[in-house]
Amino acid sequence: MADNKILLDENEIPKRWYNISKDLPVPLSPVIHPGTKEPIGPQDLAPLFPMELIKQEVSQKRWIKIPEEVRDIYTIWRPSPLYRARRLEKVLKTPAKIYYKYEGVSPPGSHKPNTAVAQAYYNMKEGVERISTETGAGQWGSAISFATNLFDLACSVYMVKVSYQQKPYRRNLMNVWGAEVNPSPSTKTQAGKKILEENPDTTGSLGIAISEAVEDAATHDDTKYSLGSVLNHVLLHQTIIGLESKEQLAKVDEYPDIVVSSCGGGSNFAGISFPFIYDKLKGDKKDLKATAVEPLACPTLTKGIYAYDFGDTAMLTPLIKMYTIGHDFVPPGIHAGGLRYHGDSPLISLLYDQEIINAKAYYQTEVFEAASIFGKAEGIIPAPEAAHAIKNVNDEALKCKKTGEEKTILFNLSGHGHFDMGAYHAYHSNKLEDYEYPADLVKKALAKIPQL
Amino acid sequence: MIGFLINPIAGLGGTVGLKGTDGNTYKKALELGGTPLAAQRAKVALSDCYTLNEEYLTCSGRMGEDVLRDLKLKYRIIHKNKEITTAKDTKKACNAFLKIGVDLILFSGGDGTAKDIVSVVNKRIPILGIPSGVKMHSSIFAINPKTAGDLLCNFHNMKLSEGEILDVDEKSYQADNFNVQLFGYALTLKAPYRVQGRKNTFYEIPEDRSKEEIAKFVLEFMENKTTYILSAGTTIKKICDLIGVEKTLLGVDVLKNGELIAKDTNEKQLLKIIENSSDVTIIVSPIGSQGFVFGRGNQQISSKVIKKIGISNIIILSTPHKLSQTPHLFVDTGDLELDKKLSGKKRIITSYRMTTLRIIKRP
Repeated sequence: MADNKILLDENEIPKRWYNISKDLPVPLSPVIHPGTKEPIGPQDLAPLFPMELIKQEVSQKRWIKIPEEVRDIYTIWRPSPLYRARRLEKVLKTPAKIYYKYEGVSPPGSHKPNTAVAQAYYNMKEGVERISTETGAGQWGSAISFATNLFDLACSVYMVKVSYQQKPYRRNLMNVWGAEVNPSPSTKTQAGKKILEENPDTTGSLGIAISEAVEDAATHDDTKYSLGSVLNHVLLHQTIIGLESKEQLAKVDEYPDIVVSSCGGGSNFAGISFPFIYDKLKGDKKDLKATAVEPLACPTLTKGIYAYDFGDTAMLTPLIKMYTIGHDFVPPGIHAGGLRYHGDSPLISLLYDQEIINAKAYYQTEVFEAASIFGKAEGIIPAPEAAHAIKNVNDEALKCKKTGEEKTILFNLSGHGHFDMGAYHAYHSNKLEDYEYPADLVKKALAKIPQL
Repeated sequence: MIGFLINPIAGLGGTVGLKGTDGNTYKKALELGGTPLAAQRAKVALSDCYTLNEEYLTCSGRMGEDVLRDLKLKYRIIHKNKEITTAKDTKKACNAFLKIGVDLILFSGGDGTAKDIVSVVNKRIPILGIPSGVKMHSSIFAINPKTAGDLLCNFHNMKLSEGEILDVDEKSYQADNFNVQLFGYALTLKAPYRVQGRKNTFYEIPEDRSKEEIAKFVLEFMENKTTYILSAGTTIKKICDLIGVEKTLLGVDVLKNGELIAKDTNEKQLLKIIENSSDVTIIVSPIGSQGFVFGRGNQQISSKVIKKIGISNIIILSTPHKLSQTPHLFVDTGDLELDKKLSGKKRIITSYRMTTLRIIKRP
């Protein structure tokens, strides 16, 4: 009987994260203070993050040790299984070999706790008592709630009000893990109060929630802020996904020709791909194709520009060089909430600019169609974010069917879709809209704006 | 037996930029070079109905007889009218239809004709409209003449449903105010998506915000070198509201460099403007619920106009709410080849820097 899943023992959980900053072909552009226009230093970040995470943010060490306490907690769900999608291959009638790393086995149901646990640990070690953060639909909020609970830290989550009201299930997860969940805008912060005074009926936005979480951390001595994607240290923690996958594939004498993952802020894509891109950058695997998949409604890499921009809507963050479609852009309410970010991680942006990775964007309907094919074949219902990767995998596998090539494809199934049944319902009732970012018209619009 | 009548003056005002052909507008339409459409469209509808072995009861001359004779269909005259026809003729014919007891009244006209018919027959005889007026907001019209013919051929096997007869206040409409009232109900053939739904205008506060978002984006990418033909409707009017120029709500205006260079234009004027401009773009919004992008309410932007400008220079706008209430989008320019080219997956600006993809079809 052929193996369907490849497992590692708990003692085979990687002992080090991989830091791609060491191997970049060109150095990362510095993060800029919007006021002084000078690069920011560790002292600028100290009110928000513990020093160990700031060090990781700028580290040039290729390998960074995973603390034993973190590895110990990882054993709750790690090593996560690597599956061979034999049934999907059969449905697609492809000669390609499809493997997927399943991160939906974590208690919060996604890859997010890989960094949440690490971040909570470093905060705890430095005497922080409370974490503040923001969340949209609740993936990140539930992961950080899970992690802070394990280290006895208090947690204050600012959840975009419309999701707080309409998507109560992840909010309830956060409550179970002891977090305080505030519908944002809230009356807990000055930023929230001001917005509520101006517009009491507002449904909130991620930009507002970021403002509130940052203010909370800045105004409480015992509190630090935590972010679930984009930053270098977040991507670093996620590399455990790719490192495990590499070990698992080695057990069956495989190495991928193509690595695919969805890409919003980038932690999911970085997690699975960076350990393989390491081999490409070294020159060992020059032909490796790594594809970041995004929605056509928010096509940061495929339609954005590589420039300095704010990381948030409220312009509170420093200026970051990244692919962006503008910090004032509010993506439409697609169901893959985790991919609704106007920018991309600086590391992924640089790799894309240097043509080391590819990007591809799809419509919502074709993504759900692919997710349904996958769900029927493999049984697991994918999260809408992960379904973007599946669409690309299916396309690659069908290309192999045409050419007869037996390519090995690896993708990150970053979470299950059990909290996203509303989205599947909309798909099955033909109520999903296909959105597209009109890059040509926006280009015309931007050409008229005076350049600074 | 089928009662059949044509309102010979229906649709005359469309391409010449008039908002109907009721009352004195008829003379004005003729002066401006308007072409009567009703007979021509009725011919399209009936040309494939040879299999239907029915007798048509109709009016003399242009009100029905001419078309039926040309098509060699079996008919009987039940009302003799003069050269210039009025609403009275329609009503008299309908009284005769009632007396004799026809199974269905098929008519070629617009909302005004429908209203005249229903004022006599109420719900006693089912009616079906061949769309050929300027305004067709009532829900008793087939989506195009060809479909009217198809429905007619099968009408004995079809169920009936109630349709709304909408009455657009003519005085305020001509003065560019859209004031629709429900005149009454009629019986029609039950054929969702083949008999068109009523027009809906969406007035809500979030709706207004959506219009503003769309308008903000349009203004961002509008270029000074381009001449913009702005179709009718509240979504497009918002663009002009934001720059402080007064757009004709129900007419087609022309904008260049932030100024309206022509208001409430007709086809002829548009063609002239196109001739003198190198770069022209049409901005259009579908009719709420009915879904017509071209061919209803904006006939001035005729097939000739569209062909000269080129189909790649059309921008379609709609608020998400209107789109969600409009299950199908149609084009019916009267030019089949052009309609084919205008069909397919198109993007519609639905918000600030965002589009939604929708399929546009020929009805």
